[in-house]
Amino acid sequence: MKKTPAGEVVIVPRNFKLLEELERSEKGHGDMAISFGLVDTSDTFLSDWNGGILGPPGVRTQYADRFYEVRIHCPDIYPASPPNIRFVSKINMNCVDSKTGVVSDKKLPAMRNWNRNMGIEQVLQSIRMEMCSDANRRLRQPADGTTF
Amino acid sequence: MASVGPLPRRIVKETQRLIAEPVAGISATPYQDNLRYFAVAIEGPTDSPYERGVFQLELFLPSDYPMAPPKVRFLTKIYHPNVDKLGRICLDILKDKWSPALQIRTVLLSIQALLSAPNPDDPLDNNVAEVWKSNEPEALRRAREFTESFAMKPNAAETAKGP
Repeated sequence: MKKTPAGEVVIVPRNFKLLEELERSEKGHGDMAISFGLVDTSDTFLSDWNGGILGPPGVRTQYADRFYEVRIHCPDIYPASPPNIRFVSKINMNCVDSKTGVVSDKKLPAMRNWNRNMGIEQVLQSIRMEMCSDANRRLRQPADGTTF
Repeated sequence: MASVGPLPRRIVKETQRLIAEPVAGISATPYQDNLRYFAVAIEGPTDSPYERGVFQLELFLPSDYPMAPPKVRFLTKIYHPNVDKLGRICLDILKDKWSPALQIRTVLLSIQALLSAPNPDDPLDNNVAEVWKSNEPEALRRAREFTESFAMKPNAAETAKGP
């Protein structure tokens, strides 16, 4: 949320915020450890996205060098509420439902502490960061390439 | 969530004038919960393939308006070389040719003019522009078909989500 010098709080409407997120994502994020794009490139309301998370490299985690596919849904009230995220690739993490792959909005820091200045990028980064947490990094993982 | 704090005088004046003296074939109404966000409807100009269609758009005045241009986008699907599949518009005054002397009114008039005079030499959608240049009658036919399918629905007022 931006404040003008006059003290007005300017609220970017949902669709324009999502367009900004799309344009930013198309330019690429640094090392491309996370990526996302529209499922349907003519989706006027920019609701459904495919995302990818590259597991943090190195031997410190069980997720190293795996590529995880997620589905992202931005509800009508977005960004008042965070996007809904569901893993397509099978994964074992504390914040992910082991049967459905849905990311818990109560357990993921970026969703728990959500505010409307955040976006899809911050949520995917938060998931990637969680892979390195003490609670997650040593968890046994399903075979690479399996799906929910 | 409502806009908080004073709306710049310039925006208040522009909004009042848009409502008091509307432009023929164009309506722009601010959302009550976000006075920088407008629901816009533009009637397709006569003698264009968009004739008899009503096109819904959304417009947002960013925090640095009028130093920066408004953001505008079609919500109704349209077959036009300067509009992409997400409704984004390729128009110089929305980019490098913007001047703070321009207004919401002038922007909407320019979009209406763009419907009368598509510019396939400066395309946003290359496929559409290609058809426009190689086979104009076919392009006009497709544009009319889109107008009939998406802009003439009895309930064409696809409401924007937001704010």
